[in-house]
Amino acid sequence: MSERAYRGDETTGFQSPAQDHIEGVPDLAELLELRRPQRYAVRVKGEGLRKRGIHGGDILVVTTDAPPITGKVCVAFLHGDVVLAVLMEKDGQWWLEPSNQTPQPLSDDTEVWAMIAALVRTDV
Amino acid sequence: MFGLIDGNNFYVSCERAFDPTLIGKPVIVLSNNDGCAIARSAESKALGIKMGEVWHLSKRKPEYRNVIAKSSNYALYGDMSRRVFEVLSDHFQRVEPYSIDEMFLDLTQFARVDYCRRVRDSVRQITKIPTCIGIGPTKTLAKLANKHAKGGPTGVSDFSDLDARRQGFAEMPIGEIWGVGGASQTKLNNLGIHTVEQFAALPSASVRKLMTVTGQRTHAELNGVSCMPLTLAPDQKQTVAVTRMFGRPVETWEDMREALAAHAARAAEKCRKHGLVANAMQVFFHTHPHNGDPWYHGQRSFEIEPTADSFAIIGQAVAAGRSMWKPNTRYAKAGVILLDLQAEADAPRDLLPTVDPIKSEKLMTALDSVNAKFGRGTLRPGGIRPVKPWSTRANNRSPRFTTRFTELMEVRA
Repeated sequence: MSERAYRGDETTGFQSPAQDHIEGVPDLAELLELRRPQRYAVRVKGEGLRKRGIHGGDILVVTTDAPPITGKVCVAFLHGDVVLAVLMEKDGQWWLEPSNQTPQPLSDDTEVWAMIAALVRTDV
Repeated sequence: MFGLIDGNNFYVSCERAFDPTLIGKPVIVLSNNDGCAIARSAESKALGIKMGEVWHLSKRKPEYRNVIAKSSNYALYGDMSRRVFEVLSDHFQRVEPYSIDEMFLDLTQFARVDYCRRVRDSVRQITKIPTCIGIGPTKTLAKLANKHAKGGPTGVSDFSDLDARRQGFAEMPIGEIWGVGGASQTKLNNLGIHTVEQFAALPSASVRKLMTVTGQRTHAELNGVSCMPLTLAPDQKQTVAVTRMFGRPVETWEDMREALAAHAARAAEKCRKHGLVANAMQVFFHTHPHNGDPWYHGQRSFEIEPTADSFAIIGQAVAAGRSMWKPNTRYAKAGVILLDLQAEADAPRDLLPTVDPIKSEKLMTALDSVNAKFGRGTLRPGGIRPVKPWSTRANNRSPRFTTRFTELMEVRA
């Protein structure tokens, strides 16, 4: 590690014209709103949602207070499992469509835990 | 008007938020070192598990065979507490975090009960934590209303109305009152006072005689006279204590030295975080009080040059430990306590300090910022191994779901 942090401002010879304009690196936590209480990060396991652009190993940033929207992907508690599923509404009944299971109606044993808001992939 | 919201079986609820297999099952969370039950789900309470029950002694009981015992996961509980606080801050002007799972609310000028019900739903949806809310014109009454809410169907109880309160008071035992401890309870019971109703009806002067000014304040608050305002920040710390039971007995000086060094380093770090320096410290270790080992308790308290420097404090702690070390002894617990804390700016400067204050400050700032960024223990003073054989037992700790990218909740696709 260097003796001191140089941020583009404090130079020893010529004064840096940037010294009043130093901004630092953009903050991904800010962009993804990770500090808000309704934001959680989860890790995808399995390749069942590739057609939706979601790969195994991806980090999904999810929101626990977003309203359910038909056709959107959500994180759900389904009979004791934590799964990704597409939410569907048909004739007033909500359904969860996990990638490799038959659609399940939302009931006492199932819970929409959060809706997906963003995706982070670190091994592109 | 005050509100008091608390998480139902908070630690268990935090675990359930990320693990659906725990829902509807008897779950408990164990204290540091997997010792005692410190949180119990409703199902566990129904089985008869008591608060503080020593788990390794009772886990073989046949009726407990299905109980799921989790090690405590304070990184998770702390972050969930933060989330609850943030949600509440969206709904109330002022929120006082009283403990990790209880917060006082400023309920001035709200349509109270309905509003609190909506807040409770919002906390539940966002943080997954079920809560109860008590409402009252004083903190003590809000606390009592919260206890009352635990038994009710809606999760919200309002003691702002005198008649509502009187009804609640009649059947509540005095032990439910905030600030009435075991000793006061016995005194009052001996006088035939068992219910909150009876206690509230006592003349203030006799309460003072019986339970000093603190009791009198509690009594006034029960009768609707607010004596305790909301406080938004904790008082300045007087001491910083880092004490731990060992995961297994410590028998060598090397392990003890390392444990003392680690405790001292952590205590110094806490001290610096609050901008404080210590003027004195206490170091102790002792054998297990109940396992049949011969009792030995070494303890030293002494003054130090005002400092929060990890290396200075480690040096003193280890030297004190060495001076009272007794070999061929199985130690169960050790601790380092920093005393007489004061703000760094107010500390007297030694004319000839043994630690260069400027060099020390730079080094400590670097140490703290690296550890804040990359996780506690990334940079540590020499002599503290990353894997500590004496360290606390936590055999069934869940992942730190919300604070580590390496431990996120997995979702199956």
